Amino acid sequence: MKIFITGATGYVGHQLALALAQQGNCVHALVRNPGSDRIPRHDNIKLFVGDVTNRNTLTPAISGCDVVYHTAAFVGLWAKEAAIFYEVNVEGTRNVLETALEQGIKKIVYTSSCGVMGPSLHEPRSESDPRITGFDNDYELSKFMAENLVKEFNQRGLPGIIVCPSKVFGPGNDEHTFTLNKVIKNFIRGRITFIPGPGRIVANYCFINDVVQGHILAMHNGIAGEKYILGGENVSYLNLFKAIRLLSGTKAMLVETPISLVKIWAGLQWLLNKISNKKILYTTKNVHHFFCNKAYSSKKAIHQLGYRPVSLEEGLLQTIQFLNKKCHA
Amino acid sequence: MRNTTYTLITGASEGFGKSLALECASRKMNLVLVALPGPELICLADFIKRNYAVAVITFEKDLSIEENCFGLFKEMEALQLPVNMLINNAGIGSTLRFDEGSLQLYQLQIKLNVLATTLITRLFIGMLSKNVPSYILNVGSLSSFFFLPKKQVYGGTKSYIYFFSKSLRQEIAAAGIGVSVICPGGMNTNPLQYLLNKTAGYIGRLSLMNPEEVAPIAINGLLKGKEVIIPGRLNRCFMLLDKILPSFLKKMITSHQMKKMKPPATVNTAAVELNPLRPSIPLSA
Repeated sequence: MKIFITGATGYVGHQLALALAQQGNCVHALVRNPGSDRIPRHDNIKLFVGDVTNRNTLTPAISGCDVVYHTAAFVGLWAKEAAIFYEVNVEGTRNVLETALEQGIKKIVYTSSCGVMGPSLHEPRSESDPRITGFDNDYELSKFMAENLVKEFNQRGLPGIIVCPSKVFGPGNDEHTFTLNKVIKNFIRGRITFIPGPGRIVANYCFINDVVQGHILAMHNGIAGEKYILGGENVSYLNLFKAIRLLSGTKAMLVETPISLVKIWAGLQWLLNKISNKKILYTTKNVHHFFCNKAYSSKKAIHQLGYRPVSLEEGLLQTIQFLNKKCHA
Repeated sequence: MRNTTYTLITGASEGFGKSLALECASRKMNLVLVALPGPELICLADFIKRNYAVAVITFEKDLSIEENCFGLFKEMEALQLPVNMLINNAGIGSTLRFDEGSLQLYQLQIKLNVLATTLITRLFIGMLSKNVPSYILNVGSLSSFFFLPKKQVYGGTKSYIYFFSKSLRQEIAAAGIGVSVICPGGMNTNPLQYLLNKTAGYIGRLSLMNPEEVAPIAINGLLKGKEVIIPGRLNRCFMLLDKILPSFLKKMITSHQMKKMKPPATVNTAAVELNPLRPSIPLSA
C-alpha cells in the first residue's frame, strides 16, 4: 500500500513511518527539513520536502497514495505568536484534507489529542463525554477545530478517523522538555524531580508502540467519522513514580509541588521571557492543566479496533532500558 | 439522606450552564436540564449520572419559542418534580456593531434573554413557593453596568435581567424565595468565545475567567442570599472604578478596550461552528 504521512519527524509520526515501512508499505513522508536528525530512515520511506501550511508542496507527495496519516502538529501550551497553532493545526489540516479529497484518498487517520476532551472527574472519560472545562489554550482549541474539519470532510466524502493518544512515552523521543520520557530520564539519573502536588492526581499514559499500533488498527478497523482514545493505564503521579523507582532502582528525590509554587515559577518564566526572550513552557493561566485528573478509557478502541495496550510496567521497563542505553552510548 | 428536590437549569448543554450543572451535581443536587435539541445534552446528563449520585432529567427545548416555555412547565407539572432552585442561564451573547448584526439575531436575543427568563420565572414561581426555602439565580452580565460599544442589545437585555432580579427580590424575599443575579465579566464559554476574548484589550483579557471557576462562586453566592454576585477580584475592582472615575475617562477606557474586539479574521472561523446547536440563524447582516 502507498501511504502518505505528515509529521514524520515528530515523536509519533517518526515511529509510525518506520512501522509502516517495516510492514512493506511504500511510505511518502512529508518533512520540512531533509537534514533533520529526526528523519525516519528506511528503504521503503520516500522523503518529500514540504510543509502542511503550504498546499502546493502536498500534492506531489499525496498523489498516487491510497491512505493518509496526518500526525503533524504544532505542540505546546505556549507560543510567542499564538497564530501559529491555528496556521499549522487548523489551516494545515485543512490543506491536507483538501488535497486528500482532491487526490481521491480512500481514508485518513488524524492524530488528535486527549487534551481536546480535557480533564476527567471521578470516572475515566470516554470519547462521548462532554468537556467539563472551557477552552483556555490555543493548542487544545486548535486541535478541536481540526477534529471538526476532519468530521466535515468525512461528510464531504473523505472517510476520516480521529485518534487521541493520551500522554505518550517510550523509546524514540527524549529531548522535548514536556515529554514523560525526559522526566523519566532525569528521575532515573538521580535528579530531584518535581511532580504536581498532591501526587494522587490521576493521568493516563500510553506506550509509543501501542499508539503506533492504534493508528494502524484505526486505519484498518476504524469506523469513518468516529473518534478513538488510544490510552494506557490510569495512574496517580505518585504510583507512576513508585513504579519507575521499583523498575529502575533510582534513589532520586520526589517533591510534590503545590500549584501556588508552580504559578510563581510560571510568572518567573514570563519575566525571563520579557527580559531575555527565553521560551515559556506554561503560563500562570494554564498551569492548572497539571493539577487536574486526566483519566481516560480506551474501551472503545479495545472493542472496535482490537487495540491491546501493554501494561504500564512493561512499557516503563522498555522505556527505562532505552533511556539507560542512550545514557551509556 | 438523598435530596428530593430539583434544580432547574436552562441553557445547560454548553458554556456556563454546563459548568453550573456540574457544580450543582457535585453538591448532590438533582437536576432538570433544559437545552436545545442535540446530543450534547444527553451526553452531559449521562456523564453527570455516571460521576455523581444524583437524578438528572433532560428537556430538549428551544426556549426562544414561547410555547416551549409553557410546554416545559406543563411537562414538569405532570411529573410532579419539586423544584426549589431555578437558574435562568439560557441566553445569547454578541459583540457586533449595531448595523452589523442581523434582525434575526436581535429578535432571538431579546426573546431568549428577556422574554424566556420572564416567562419561566413567572411559570415556576408557584412551584418554588411550595418548596421553600427556594432560590432563583439569573445570569446577568458585567456589561449591564458599562455602556460598551458592540454590546448594545446584549447589554440592554442584561440590564433588564439586573433590574428584574433586584426588583423581584424585594417582592418575594418574605415568601422564602431568594433571588440573586450574577454578573460575570468575559468567560471562555465556548470555543469561538475564547478566540473572540483573545482579541479584547489588555484589561479585558486579564479579567477573563473560565466558566468552571465562576460556577462555584455563583452557587455559593446564591445559597448565601447575595443580591448581586460579581465573580473575580478584577471585576469587582472595575465596579469600584466605575463609581469613582469621571464618565469621560470611563468612555475612553471602554471604547479603547472594545475597539479591537472582533471575531478573528486570521483564523477561518468556519472550523468553529458559531453555535453548533443553532446553525440556521445568520448572526451578522
